[in-house]
Parts: sequence; C-alpha cells; structure tokens
Amino acid sequence: MIDQPHLDEAALAELRDVMEDDFGVLVDTFLADSRARLRHLHQVLEQEDSDQLAKTAHSFKGSCINMGATHLSELCAQLERAGKAADLSAAARLLDGVEAEFAEVASCFEQL
Amino acid sequence: MSGEFSPSQTLNSFSGSAEPSRLRILVAEDNKPDRMILCALLQKLGHEVFEVFDGTAAVDQFHEVDPDIVLLDAMMPELDGLSAARQIKSMAGERLVPVIFLTALTDPKELARCLEAGGDDFLIKPFNRVILDAKLNALDRMRRLHQALAEQVDQVRQKNEQMLAEQKTARRVFDNIAHTGSLDSPNIRYHASPMSVFNGDVLFAATRPGGGSLVFLGDFTGHGLPAAIGAMPVAEIFYGMVGQGFGAAAILREINAKLRRILPVGMFCCGAMLETDSRQGLVRAWNGGLPDAWLLRGSGERVAIPSRNLPLGVQNAENFSTSMVVFQVTPGDHVLLMTDGFPESANEQGELLGESGVRQVLAGLSSPSDAFDALMHRVREFTGQPEAADDLTLCCVAIPELEQARPSARKPPDAEPIGPADWQCVYEIRERTLSEFNPLPLLLHICMEVPGLRSRSGEVYTLLSELYNNALEHGVLALSSDWKSSPRGFALYYEERQRRLSDTDGHFIRFSLSHESRDPGGRLRVICEDSGAGFDFAEHSARASKTRSIPGSSYAGRGLELLRRMATHFHVHGEGNRVEIVYDWQPGREDDD
Amino acid sequence: MPIAAHRVDDGQTLVIRVDGRFDFSTHQAFRDAYEQADPAIKRYVVDLSDTTYLDSSALGMLLLLRDHAGGDSARISIENCNSDVRRILSISNFEQLFRIC
Repeated sequence: MIDQPHLDEAALAELRDVMEDDFGVLVDTFLADSRARLRHLHQVLEQEDSDQLAKTAHSFKGSCINMGATHLSELCAQLERAGKAADLSAAARLLDGVEAEFAEVASCFEQL
Repeated sequence: MSGEFSPSQTLNSFSGSAEPSRLRILVAEDNKPDRMILCALLQKLGHEVFEVFDGTAAVDQFHEVDPDIVLLDAMMPELDGLSAARQIKSMAGERLVPVIFLTALTDPKELARCLEAGGDDFLIKPFNRVILDAKLNALDRMRRLHQALAEQVDQVRQKNEQMLAEQKTARRVFDNIAHTGSLDSPNIRYHASPMSVFNGDVLFAATRPGGGSLVFLGDFTGHGLPAAIGAMPVAEIFYGMVGQGFGAAAILREINAKLRRILPVGMFCCGAMLETDSRQGLVRAWNGGLPDAWLLRGSGERVAIPSRNLPLGVQNAENFSTSMVVFQVTPGDHVLLMTDGFPESANEQGELLGESGVRQVLAGLSSPSDAFDALMHRVREFTGQPEAADDLTLCCVAIPELEQARPSARKPPDAEPIGPADWQCVYEIRERTLSEFNPLPLLLHICMEVPGLRSRSGEVYTLLSELYNNALEHGVLALSSDWKSSPRGFALYYEERQRRLSDTDGHFIRFSLSHESRDPGGRLRVICEDSGAGFDFAEHSARASKTRSIPGSSYAGRGLELLRRMATHFHVHGEGNRVEIVYDWQPGREDDD
Repeated sequence: MPIAAHRVDDGQTLVIRVDGRFDFSTHQAFRDAYEQADPAIKRYVVDLSDTTYLDSSALGMLLLLRDHAGGDSARISIENCNSDVRRILSISNFEQLFRIC
C-alpha cells in the first residue's frame, strides 16, 4: 500500500535548516494541529457538511505538503475532491486512510 | 541532518548578494504550521514579518503595519484571501503594495482567479526558499519602480505647480511694467489670456500726452520664458516712449533695434501698431507679420491692413521700415488687430478657421461694433471649446468721438508726478567733443525728468535744438546763413559744416538750464553761450522780421525766429553768442495759436 | 531709409516720405529725392506720417523744394504731420507757402 516514504527527507532537512531551534516546536504544532483537523473532519462528515469537509481537507493538505508528508497530502487531496463531489461514502473511506497515514507520519516525527 | 546537499547555504549566499532590501511583510495564513514555516523563511531572508490569522485581520492591520508586500493564504475562514486582496489594493490607493497568494491549489483556473482578484503573484506549497526569494525580489523591484515613477509624476506635478506659481509672480512683475495702460478705455475691447505673455502675446495701449492713442499688439515666436523675457523691454519702450510723447514710428524703430540686439537669431516679434489721432481724424497702422488687421467703417466698408513689413527684431535699423498706412476715419469706425492664434484656431477635424473665416464673420456684421463679439463667438463655436481662445489675442479699437479723445485720467503706476521740479545745471562741451557728441538727447532727458514737462517734449526739443544749432553753426563754426540763399549754397553750407567740425579746438558751448515749478506747470530757463565771435543781432533781427512777413524769401534764418515764437521770453546778449530763453509751460496741451 | 520717394497718379505726383527726424542730416537725401526725379512730375507730396521732429534747417529744405518745383506756382502738399511738426510749420507761417493737411 505504501510505495513511498511517509516523510520526504530532503524537505525535512530544509525545514530543520529554516526552523533551527524551533523545529521541534513546529513538529509539535503540526501534530497537534493535525489531530484537531482529524477531529474536525470526523465531525463535519457526521454532519454531512461536504463543503467544510473539502475546505478542511484542503488546508490539511497544505500543511502536509510543507511538512514533507507527501503521501498524507495526496490522501488529503483525494479527500478534498470527495468533499467537493459531495461523495460522503468515498469521503468516509478516504478519511480512514488519512487517519492511518497520519498515525505513520506522527510516529516518524516522534522518532526523529 | 545537514547532509552534503545543502541548498540553504547556496540560497543564503544568493539572497544575501542579491537585493539587500529589508521588506515589511504582512503574512495572513490561518494554517499554523504553514505560518510558522513561512515566517521563519521570511526572517531568514532578512525581512520584517507581521503575522495575522485571517483575511479580516490582514485588512484591519494593513494601515498600522504599512507593509511593502502582503502574503495572503487564498483560502481562509472569515474573509478569504481574494476578498482581502481587493480591500487591501483599494486601501493602498495609488501605492503599489504587491499581494502574493499562498496556496495549495493546483487547478489553473483557481490560480487565475487569484490574479484576477488583484494578486500580483502566487506561491504554491510547499514553500520554497529560492522561489519565495526570487518572487519577493521581483515584486520589490516592481514596487520600487512604481514608487519611483509615482515620485516622478509627483515631481512633475510639483514642478508644474511651481512653474505656474513662478509665472504668476513673473506676471505681476510684468504687469508693473506693462500695466494695463489705457486698455480699459471704453473704446477698446480685447481678449487676451491672463497668462498670454507666456504664450508670447503682448497687448499695450496708451494715451499720448498730446491726445490720440497708441495700441501695440505683439506675438513673439516661441512661448514660455523666452517670449516673456522679450516682452519686458517692449513694454518698457512702449510705455516709456509714449509717455515722452514719441509717436508710433519712433517707438517701432526703437523696439525693432532693441529686439534685434537682444533676441537670438530666429526669434522675433510679429506686431501691429495703431496710432489714432482723433483730432485730425486719422489712423496710422503698421503691420509686421501679423494676420491682416481690419478697418471696419461705419459705412460697411471693410479694409484689410495686411502685413507689409518684416517682424520686429529682424531687420537692421537702416533697412527697417516704419512706413504706416494712413486712413481718414470717423467716430464709429473700428480697427481690429489679432494674433495668428485667431485664424489658426482648429476644429476637431484639424481644419483651420483661416483668414477666410475671419472675412466671413466680418462680411456678416451689421455694425462694426459687433465685430469683437462676433469673432469671439465664431472661434468658440468653430473649435467647440470655450477655452480654445487661450492662445490668441484679439483687440478692437473704436474710433472715439472727439470728446473722448482727451488724455485718459488713468495713469500708469509709475507716472505719479515725482521728479525734480526745481533745479539748475550747467552743461558745457568743449574741444573735440563738440565734433563727436550730440548733447541734445541728454539735455532733453534732464528736462523730461520734470514732472509733467514730457507733454511738451516736442517744443522743449525744438528750443534746445535750435539754440544748439545756432551756437554750433553760427557761433563755433562761424558759418554764415547767407550761404543758404541758393540751393547749391545750402548744400555747401552743410558740407562746410562737416568740414569745420573737424577743428573745434579752443571752443565750447555751454548750456545753463534751470527750472522752477509754478502751479500749474513751470518755468524752464535756458542760456546757451558759445565761444564764437557772435553775430550782428540787429541785422539778423531786421532780416528775421522780413522773413516773417515773406516766409519764402530765404532758406535760412528761421531758427531764432522759432525760438522767439515758442519761448515766453527771448534775449540775445553780448556779441550775439549768448542766447537766453524763458519757457513757461502748463501741463496738458492746448494749441496756443 | 530716412527718405523714400515714389510716384503716384500716372507718375505725375512724387511722394517723398521722411522717416524719423527731419533735420540737416537728411538734406542730401531729401534733395536727391526730387532733383533726380522725372521731369514729368507736376505735384509733390511731402508725407510726414513717420516724421517725429522737424527743425529749422528742414524748413529751409522745404523751401528749396518749393523753389525747385516752380516757386509760387509749385504744387506741394505737406501731409500727415504730427502736432509738434505742425506747430513748427505754422509758427513759420508755412501755411502761406504749402498746402498743409
């Protein structure tokens, strides 16, 4: 299922360089922010608010790209498209995928 | 984890060596990790960063932060990036504050919408330092170029305002020299732009001390400062000489000589001079390079007064012609003068009104007094612009009734009667100066400083000149009037005069002038003495009285007779080489015979 | 060009214009103007439109012209004088010798 690494090493190197001492804070912020997003995604899915679903997925996608979580960002993009298409059953399936990949990403970050 | 590949160092050196400018950057991004990364990137690039969480905050903070560049997440809760961009652009007004959209969008249509909303560029996630730096630099260059242009526009505007202010000041100086003269007389109507002197147009009018009036319309080549500078001496000559009683021809000659001296080649002044003498019912006109002037008679006759002369400032003094066209006129006749701005007025199609357009208007008049209004109406109608008349000058002079021909009560500001009224002086010229120097202009000038005496300049000149010629020719040079009894002798007399002038050793002519004021007017006393042997005055007297009764009997002997008739008292003292005259005068002029 | 002459009326009238000061300095040019003119000339007009000033020697020159033109039978008119010039002419009683207008 996973052909590519959870985190892009080159992107991470760049981030470390940019953030310097704040890299750890950035990672913590990302993880906390992402968990909040995941909770929000579940909530709007229950409410069948596909518009909010798409927007939240889009925003999540943005920070995943910046954090080097390339595969997670691709899953967010698919979730965003399902939200835009108001395909809630596909969205529910994709959200599970996002949840699983985020767990992998989070564990990678925690091991750094 | 700083591996071998170290883009950051490359980027650092790049950004360090490129644009060093430290920008104030407002960042609006709701996504916290993204905001952290972006702010860290910008700080690393050396910029000053102000972060807010959404579009509304960005708009609220805009004035306070006063950023050079704004980075906006395209999709934000509350106010999205696109709406925020529109508001920020409108708040920036004429300033260019570049807006970069931050986006994870990849759909080209979405990206296009960002630019349509007023975004200047976009930055696609993941944020890349090289691209970010390059974009900031490009937008900063654009921003500064825009700023420089705006400053230039501002400078040009300021310069223009300054120039207009300077022109107004210059105009006031000019007005002090070229006061309105008698332009506001009831018989004169004119149109001239208030700043016409900077278009090169000048219009002067003055009443002559002895009655009658002079009007001069000039149009300098070029415009702006050069034209205005040329206008100054023309104004001074015109008003100065009119005040001293000079006529049109002398004034034109002086203006021409002066302009030829001061103007660079290729610059000159087209002009027309109008001299009205309502006592004799005459108008004399001179036109050098202006469109046809027109005499419009009450009878309906229209007489063109075309340019027959070169403009002023072109010809040298010897070849300059002041010949004037003379017309017999009656009250109610009008004379029109105009600059070429008039026939050269163009309509929207670029067609010119032309001299034929002027003729048409004049042909359709029911009365000459309508000419001014009809022409102004026509030019506005033709061009379709009320302000079209800014570049032209039109003047219409009505020939007044005799009563109106009295000297105008309005005096130029500098014509207040100040000047020496009670004085005496002795002026003596000796030796070779007698042959080289004509003292008359100087002596006349001294006398003309007496307030009011200018109105009598012609008579004073005659008195001084006859005294001087008598002293020089019959006294110093010992020429006998008897020679003038034949045409050949007359010529010989002046040849001999010239010859004898080369030897004036030991000779002098002494003028003693004094003036005392009387109310009104004054008394001018002139004693003219010379070093000559004198002449038999009794014999001259007898001959002079004979001359008076038989005026054509001799070609000579009239000088002293003129003195006797013009002066209040006339005495010949001593050997006939000391002649004294007393001249009582009153201001204004009435013909005493 | 202080003195200029031209013919009008089929060449029978000579118009002599004097520009500026009419004084002794113009005597040669003034004399040339009529002495070198066509013998067919019957009338003379001295146009003083542009004459600013006239002195006693100019009076002599006008008399020379008068004698040249036949003395008492001369037909000479002096035209367009300014008031100063006019006054000098009239002080010298020249109205009796010339038509002054």
